Amino acid sequence: MTIGAALPVLLLATSLVPAIATFFIPERSHRLRTALNVIAAVVKVVLVGALVAGVLYFGLEFEWRAAFLPGIDLVLRADPIPLLFVFLSALLWLTTTVYAVGYLADDGHRSRFFGFFGLCVTATVGVALAGNLVTFLVFYELLTVTTYPLVVHDGTAKARAGGRAYLLYTLTGGALLLLGTVWLHALAGPLEFGQTEVVGALAVNHRTTLTIVFVILIVALGFKAALVPLHGWLPQAMVAPAPVSALLHAVAVVKAGAYGIVRVVHDLFGLPLAQDLGVLMPLTIVAAITIVYGSTRALIQDDLKRRLAYSTVSQLSYIVLGISVVSLSSTTGGLVHLVHQGIMKVTLFYCAGNLGKRGVHRVSEMDGIGRRMPVTMLAFTVAAVGMVGIPPTAGFVTKWYLGLGAAEAGQPWIIGVLALSSALNAAYFLPPVARAWLPPDPGERSEPTGRALAGEPGGWLLLPPVATAVSVLGLGILAGAPLSPLTWAAFIAEELMPS
Amino acid sequence: MNALAWLAPVALPIAGALLWPVVGPARRWLLVLAPLPALLLGVFGAPGPPPQLNWLLLEAIADLDIGSRPLLVMTAFVWMVAGASARRIGDDRPAFASLMLLTCAGNVGVLLAADVVTFYVMFAWMTFAAYGLVVHHRTESARRAGRVYVVLAVLGEVALLAGLLLAATHAGTTAMPEVAGSLATAPGRSMIIGLLIGGFGVKVGLVPLHVWLPLAHPAAPVAASAVLSGTMIKAGLVGWLRILPLGEVALPGFGATLIGLGLVGAVLGVVAGTLQSDPKVLLAYSSVSQMGLITTAVGLGLVLPDDATAAVFAAVAYAVHHGIAKASLFLGVGVHKAGTRGWSHRTLLAGMGLAALALAGAPLTTGWIAKQTLKSVADALPEGGGQPLTLALSLAAAGTTVLMVRLLWLVREPSGPRSSPRSDAPADARGVIAPWASIVVAVAVGGWLLPLAVPDAPSLLPLTTSGLWDGLWPVLLGLVPCAGWLRYRPDRRLARASPRPAIPAGDLLLLIERLAPAVSIPAWWLLHRFDAMERRARTFQDVGRVTVRPGALIDHLEDRLTGWRTAGALYVLIGIAVTVALALGTA
Repeated sequence: MTIGAALPVLLLATSLVPAIATFFIPERSHRLRTALNVIAAVVKVVLVGALVAGVLYFGLEFEWRAAFLPGIDLVLRADPIPLLFVFLSALLWLTTTVYAVGYLADDGHRSRFFGFFGLCVTATVGVALAGNLVTFLVFYELLTVTTYPLVVHDGTAKARAGGRAYLLYTLTGGALLLLGTVWLHALAGPLEFGQTEVVGALAVNHRTTLTIVFVILIVALGFKAALVPLHGWLPQAMVAPAPVSALLHAVAVVKAGAYGIVRVVHDLFGLPLAQDLGVLMPLTIVAAITIVYGSTRALIQDDLKRRLAYSTVSQLSYIVLGISVVSLSSTTGGLVHLVHQGIMKVTLFYCAGNLGKRGVHRVSEMDGIGRRMPVTMLAFTVAAVGMVGIPPTAGFVTKWYLGLGAAEAGQPWIIGVLALSSALNAAYFLPPVARAWLPPDPGERSEPTGRALAGEPGGWLLLPPVATAVSVLGLGILAGAPLSPLTWAAFIAEELMPS
Repeated sequence: MNALAWLAPVALPIAGALLWPVVGPARRWLLVLAPLPALLLGVFGAPGPPPQLNWLLLEAIADLDIGSRPLLVMTAFVWMVAGASARRIGDDRPAFASLMLLTCAGNVGVLLAADVVTFYVMFAWMTFAAYGLVVHHRTESARRAGRVYVVLAVLGEVALLAGLLLAATHAGTTAMPEVAGSLATAPGRSMIIGLLIGGFGVKVGLVPLHVWLPLAHPAAPVAASAVLSGTMIKAGLVGWLRILPLGEVALPGFGATLIGLGLVGAVLGVVAGTLQSDPKVLLAYSSVSQMGLITTAVGLGLVLPDDATAAVFAAVAYAVHHGIAKASLFLGVGVHKAGTRGWSHRTLLAGMGLAALALAGAPLTTGWIAKQTLKSVADALPEGGGQPLTLALSLAAAGTTVLMVRLLWLVREPSGPRSSPRSDAPADARGVIAPWASIVVAVAVGGWLLPLAVPDAPSLLPLTTSGLWDGLWPVLLGLVPCAGWLRYRPDRRLARASPRPAIPAGDLLLLIERLAPAVSIPAWWLLHRFDAMERRARTFQDVGRVTVRPGALIDHLEDRLTGWRTAGALYVLIGIAVTVALALGTA
């Protein structure tokens, strides 16, 4: 096996092997398990760094393939778009592992948790590197099942209800994805991502069928990407422990759906064909509705994690919106939001987890919490401001490019949607921030309980949100720097644009 | 060295804000020193052309033009003085000093930014950092001011972003001169210009977007009020001057609207301000009034593209004058609150009197120069439109005189030192008198230094007897009703009739606040109903449960699956199976 083939496999193995090993680590061997998982996460980051350097500086090709079904290979390939996603998942896996170690310090099922956690990341990396639709499908389904035990980790009735909703939605989506995949292969034969000309050639005779397949694939992916009205599971799945929610909302599940939509549009059908079929405009409209709907619903949620969940519904569709509008800046904005949304949302869930550790689960309980937990709330403030799109954060960069793209494509109504969404985002993100930093109103003060009086949690729980919050600022301030996700996304978008 | 000269004005305050908690006792001087690089850049100019900053934001461009350089000098100076008078405040609340420094960075950045993205970033940065200054006292009125401030700020930012996006797309670049130039031919020009005027108008206090101003400026500690009313309010003006197609195309509709709204603001500020009994609220209304006059200058620039440069210069000269005079008045109120007796009170009254004369435009003051410049632009209006406008400007000056007399009346009594812990003034009044005195000196001499700073400015000193009389008579006219008022004191009767001012701070806002529940309560109710409905329905799942009836089965399965050994082993088996399959496949 050459280096080019080994690296993608190694990337999978760095989380698969420790994950399986973790299942057999006795519950009390805390240090061993922590060391194994953290080291594995660091190794993965280093490997991803090597991968990125190899592709960008040495022009190497990384591809691994193995026969799977007759005529169809399992393919892992490091194209530019996958690199972006792998990069994100490796980094956030590291921070989330550190966070989870701190978060679950008193939990009784840590080996089970970290085992599935590792499997979940393995599946995510597989989804990211998948070189064709079949490989994508395999890892996508694997992701569904490995995440379920994490969602129901607490074992309460509520957790199980959330898990049930999660399975029902995502398995339905998976079945549809299978249908779409089979149908497309029946039409086109063996097909890899990037071979848009193959599908394009079919358009001559099979326009209607291709349109139907496109819709089926997008709907299938829409379940995980939480497009309205397929979003119902997401607010319920927020019963999961904070590190799981963080990963779920930032890289793993919902992001796999959005990422799938990116690949179907750009690497399977290709923009010219999708535009020709007239399927992009409906997708834009669905994304716009989802953006406004999610933000509106988030407005009245008092439960912090529920509010964040509805915010995810809204923010993910920024990606879909960017992908479905045909212009350079839109595509750039959509792609870069894959990274930006992940880092901002992961920060918010870390902070929500820290607040939960102190008995604060609701926005109405956040009065004056900034004095007791200044570091957590500073990170929360930065990420929340980023979500609203206030500069100089990562969220602003996304919003600017999406807006620019909308104007370039001659669809200024989208700027109106973005403006409305920004105002709504401000309306549900800024009040908790203000509450946290201002002392409680004397009128509605509730007596803090014993646990709530304690200050910041330990370093394992503080370091990750601080690191990601600093990145949220860094990605905004240094957006124009070489190797920034923006530069990267702009480079990819340049390649994808039909000239 | 050159890059440092351009970056330090923004970078130093940010570094100061971040390092505040770790710097020792020396940090008292941080607030004073942080704006120094900006002042030096403004006074001496940069050693070289602006550096390329491709890595910063979205390829940031920095520059200083004829308009922003005098404003930079004024802004940096006012920040230094305000910082000097706020040195002690940070001791009990480090966040305040850090927020002051962050806001300062944004404010200076607005003046240096030369591309729309950097400009917007700095503008928003300044706006949102200043929220912390507004709510500093944590009182109910400060919170209300903060809420109103943020709501209007968000709406303004949103309008601004939409306008800038559309303008930049048409221009195909983000460099501000090009964007402003191409705006003249942009499709949907009216909408874009409307969005930009409105977006910056929030900051400028353009009627009716001014409602936050009389609440927020008084709510902050005096040092913050001084910069809010003195320098930050000008950021919106800079936005207008940089992005509107001044001199490119005649926009009589927008120009007339701005002139009209500016004059309404000038009158409203005087009327509502005179009725106030809190000197800080009065000063905030005075800012609405003065910014109204500056808005008139911008409106003239839109109506008269040929005289646009003169109009821009009039607006900038007025802004520099107002920034220094207003800051000195706010700081004077701070000195008064800190406590004055005997000679210090007489000095205070003399200094504030000087600044008040400058605002009213008395001859030979900075205000006189600014007003004369503005009037000379107004004279260029065709068809005798200039005469009514110059008359209106003179009458506004008379109104300002009334307003300033009222201000001096409010601070006429010496005040003992207050030592309440909530007081924003330091216990020792001497600490605030020195910085205040320095800015009063600037009020006195600033007008004469302005031509030196901008050598290629239009002629500034119309030293004619008619010009002197032109500045003098409005002040005398304004003193007439004041004398009558002192004689009959109608305010005593008014105060007996109603203890609250006839126009409470925020004027129009009270109307909006009264009407808002009519919309918000039904909307909220509907949202909650909908939320409850969706929670109950969960159609998708219920269908699954009814038809398959898997409840017991799934629970049972879950029990088995959640035991990790079962599940873990299952995955290991699957993993092995896949590996074997793969191995066979490749073989």
